[in-house]
Parts: sequence; structure tokens; C-alpha cells
Amino acid sequence: MTKSRFNPWTWLWVTVATLYFFVPLWGTFDFSLRMKRGAITFLAYQKVFADPKFLQSFRYSATMGVITVIVSIMLFVPTTYWIHLKLPRLRPVVELLTLLPFIIPVIVLVFGLIRTFSRPPFRMTQTEFTTDILITAGYVILSMPFMFRAVDVGMRAIDVRTLTEAAQSLGAGWLRVLLSVILPNLRVAILSGSLITFATVVGELILADFLVRPALGPYMVVVGGGKAYEPAALGILSFGLTWICLGIIQLVSRGDVRLQPIGR
Amino acid sequence: MAFLEISGITKHFGQGAGAAVDDFSLSVERGEFISFLGPSGCGKTTTLRVVAGFEQANAGSVHINGAEVSSVPANRRNVGMVFQAYALFPNMTVAENVGFGLRVAGQPAALMQARVAEMLELIRLPDYGRRYPHQLSGGQQQRVALARALAVQPQLLLLDEPLSALDAKIRIELRSEIRRIQQELKLTTIYVTHDQEEALSLSDRIVVMNLGRIEQVGTPFEIYNYPRTAFTASFVGHLNLLPVQVTDAATGACTFEGTALASSQPAPNKQAGSARLAIRPEELVLGGAGANRLSGRVLSVNFLGNVVRVRVRVGAVELSVDMFNERKLVLPAVDAQVVLSFPAHACWLMD
Ligand SMILES: Nc1ncnc2c1ncn2[C@@H]1O[C@H](COP(=O)(O)OP(=O)(O)OP(=O)(O)O)[C@@H](O)[C@H]1O
Ligand SMILES: [Mg+2]
Repeated sequence: MTKSRFNPWTWLWVTVATLYFFVPLWGTFDFSLRMKRGAITFLAYQKVFADPKFLQSFRYSATMGVITVIVSIMLFVPTTYWIHLKLPRLRPVVELLTLLPFIIPVIVLVFGLIRTFSRPPFRMTQTEFTTDILITAGYVILSMPFMFRAVDVGMRAIDVRTLTEAAQSLGAGWLRVLLSVILPNLRVAILSGSLITFATVVGELILADFLVRPALGPYMVVVGGGKAYEPAALGILSFGLTWICLGIIQLVSRGDVRLQPIGR
Repeated sequence: MAFLEISGITKHFGQGAGAAVDDFSLSVERGEFISFLGPSGCGKTTTLRVVAGFEQANAGSVHINGAEVSSVPANRRNVGMVFQAYALFPNMTVAENVGFGLRVAGQPAALMQARVAEMLELIRLPDYGRRYPHQLSGGQQQRVALARALAVQPQLLLLDEPLSALDAKIRIELRSEIRRIQQELKLTTIYVTHDQEEALSLSDRIVVMNLGRIEQVGTPFEIYNYPRTAFTASFVGHLNLLPVQVTDAATGACTFEGTALASSQPAPNKQAGSARLAIRPEELVLGGAGANRLSGRVLSVNFLGNVVRVRVRVGAVELSVDMFNERKLVLPAVDAQVVLSFPAHACWLMD
């Protein structure tokens, strides 16, 4: 293992990958700093932050992101737990179901939502609040592959069934088992699922656009259509946000030794 | 009624599947140490899980301390369980693991701490309370799992192959530890294993199982020396089998390749014809003056430490002979012609 670190091929590929990844990023970043001719400034960023619509749409998207994360956790943790415990044969089916958002285009989903829920008896697109409920449901579906997978992998890393039975034989009921035994051991899995879900919601365009909600995605499109430097700055900002999310996942999963698989 | 009364438990997994457990009945007295012994897939775990409440039987009933528990969920049965995979909660320290059951029961913190300390003392890991499971060896983890199960003072302790993930030395050490603790607490215990040595050395009584059914229930001495079925005889300990012709079913007389042999019990099916004569390797003596004598040729001599196992070809069969080692023992040479003898009471006829 230690020897392969000095393998020149490894270094070559690392370099190529790094260039592939960072050159466009650097290009965008560099461009975003050149709003003022002949100078390096953060003017584009200032303009972005100065636009009240940016903050508005960011706040909206972030709020929806948090709500989606909470709903997803409440939906997928117990469901996945139940499948692992009682219906392991159903797991492949559910796995396939959760992949549907990858297969069915978002545009189809949004038309389906609108056609079904905007007419009686639902009429959910008539008020902002009910539209937000509808859009949250859509976000939950879109982030389903990430959330389910994260929780599923987390559950496979611990022996859910035996841990549950151990807790039960000590007198614990279902809720107790879920809250004191299963959830704490899924912290990293749930966190990574949550952050990816959050990032998905914040970057989502089509749902918000068609349901006419003031989200970050449509805002970025509008800005991108009419301006040159601000979109680059926005791109870098949203990239930074994603990186912070990933960084948090890394930090937490590495820092907490207790969440490592059971040792010998 | 006995403390634990298992009556007629039958369990099928799905339609068409054979019975994993078939009409299993057993009475266990308070404080008894019972082992379920049998080959893989014979239904030991399933039976245990029915008693624990993790599995619903298709038929039969379980009474613990006089109460029928079929409709009582696992977490209200007060039955402790120790798993092969330890199943410690990885997010909790050793002390938190041991105290979990007490916390669930809503015990005050002071009482809980005292009890945890007492339990850690019992398993001889008093200074390990603040460690996490992954910082312990397998043997230590299993001790903690035992302490965790005992902390809530269960009325019944169930162990499902608790030692099979450990290596030989720790296994022997820990099994005497389990026995010591069980005796100290006078705890009614069921211990599942497929290791006959474990079952023989630990148990008050052994339940030998095969294909979901009970083959025999008895003390280790009875199981080993008076096996009632061919399965028990060959599963527990090594057994030599001679194909013989029964000449007198009533007295158990028979012949093996022309040599007349005497056994002390009548033939099991009460009639003459082909049967098998069973003898334990340690009952055979090289030379000696037993009533039954066979001559053969030494194939191999295996020195196993306290025992020397000699393989001898007698006619068409190979027999194993165990001799206790001693410093003056003269080992037979390979290819030497030897005479084996054994007394009539040492062998028995089987179908
Ligand atoms: N959940 C299940 N679904 C279907 N069949 C099962 C299930 N659990 C056990 N079985 C079957 O029931 C039979 C008895 O299994 P059990 O686990 O009780 O055996 P065991 O005696 O504990 O074996 P081992 O020594 O390998 O642990 C086996 O044939 C097994 O395949
Ligand atoms: Mg088993």
C-alpha cells in the first residue's frame, strides 16, 4: 500500500484529473473578478449580494431545502429501517423505485404534479402555501435517490436487525430503538443524505420555474440571461456552497470515531 | 409446571418450506443450564428466537414462570439475549451499553451506576466503562454483551453461539466464565451451540437436535454414554461402527466377519439380521482381556497430547482407538498386527 503512493502513474492521473477539474473553475473564478476593466475586483460579487432578489430567492430555496431535508428524513429513515428489518426481499424493488427520478425527466414530474394537483379537488396551486407543499413533495421525490441510498448504506454498515433485537430484549420499544440505537448510528449517513438533498433543492430549476416560486434556480437563469459577470460569480458561490456541504460530511464522518464499524 | 415450559413448538418459514422447528417440547427447571446442540440449520436459533419473542411459532406454546407468553412482545418478556455478533451499540460506551436496559426501565441514575459497576466487576472488566465497543477485543465485547443482558436481571438468559466468533483459547476461558456467572446468579439459561465440547462441559442437560426435532435430552453423561439414537451417537463424540449380523436379538449377540461378538443390550428392532455395532474409541483397548476380541493392522498413530489416537484396519472397516497418554506408554508401530478388545457392556447395537 505505502509503495503505491510513489507510483508515477498515480501522480500523472492525479495531475490530469486536477487540471480537468480546476482549470474551468479557475477560469470562471478569474472571469468573475474582471467586471471592472483592467482590475481585479469583487465587484460582481458585490452586485450579486446587493440584489435583494438574490437574497430573497436564496432564503426561499434554503428554507425549502431545510424543510425537504426534514420531510425526507422523517419519510426515509423509518421506511428504510422497516424494509431492512421486516421486508428485506422488498429492498431491490424500493431501490428501483427510488431511482425513478433519474429516469423520469423533471419536466414530466412537474407536469404530472400540476395536472393532478392544480385542479379540483386539490387546487393546490391557488395559494402560495399549498404550492409550497406541492413543491416540497416534488423536491422530496427528486432527492429520494440520494436520501434513500445514504440511509440504506448506513443501515447496511450496522447490523440493524441484531441491534434492534438486542435493544428489544433489554426492554426497549420501537420508538426507543429507533431514537436511541438506530438514529445515532446513522448520523453520518443521514447528514450526508441531508446535505446532498439540500444542495439538490438549492440548485433545482424546473420545479420552481413551472410552479412559479421565487427560488434560486430560476433567479440564476434570469441573471444568466442578461448579464455576463454576475452569473460567473453566482456559479462560484453555489460551487462554494456545495463544497462546504461536502466538507462538513468529511469532517463529521472522520471526526467521530464512534461511528466507525464495530472493531474486532 | 416447570419454570420454562416449551410445548409443541412448530415453525415453518413460508408455505411449502419444511418445518424449521418441528413439535419441540422441553421443560426447564429454574436455575438450569440447558444447551441446544445440533448441526447447522437444525433449528436451534429458531427455537431460541421463539422463546425470546422474535419469532412467532405456527403452533405450540411457551410458558415462562407460569405465564403463557405467545402474545407478549419481546421487549416485555424480560428475557436476556446474547448474540454471536455481540451486537453492542456502537454509539454508546461500555457503561452506557450495560446501563441501557436500566435506562429504558427508568431506573434512577445512582442505582444505574451502581448496577453497571457491579456488572463490570462480575465480568472482570471494571475499568472499561468509558471505552467504546470498537476499542475492545472480541472476547471483551462478548463479556460486555453478557453484562448488558444480565444488568436488567432477566428471568431467563438465552445465548446464541456466543463464543463461535472467538478463537479457541478465549473460547475456553470465556465459557467457564459464563458457567461461573450462571451458577453465581442461579440463572435459568439456554445456550445454543454446535460445539459438542462446549455443550458437554457447560450444561446441566443437553438437547440434541436434528432437522428441527429433538433427538435426545439428557445430562452430558447420558448423552455421551447412552445415546438413544444413531444421530446422537455419531454427532456427540467419535463413534466406531461395525457392520454386524445379529445372531440373537434378545441377548445382543452378533458376528462380525465370522467373529462372534457380545453386547449387553438386546438389538433395537428385536430381530436378527444386519445391524451396526457401536463402540467409542476410548473403550477399545490394544491387547487387553475384554470379552470381544478383533485382530487388525495398525494404519496410523496420531499423537494428540493427552490422547493417542490409533487407526486400525479390521477386516473391511477402520476403527479408531484412543489411548490415554502416559510416559511409559509404548506406541504401536504402523503396520503391526494388533488385537483389539472391548467388554460387552461398552458396545451397543444400532439399526
Ligand atoms: N428468516 C428465515 N426465513 C426462512 N428460513 C429460515 C429463516 N430463519 C431460519 N430459516 C431456516 O430454518 C432452518 C433452521 O434455522 P436455524 O437458524 O434455526 O438453524 P440453526 O440450528 O441455528 O443453525 P446454525 O447452527 O447454522 O446457526 C434452516 O433450514 C434455515 O434455513
Ligand atoms: Mg443459529
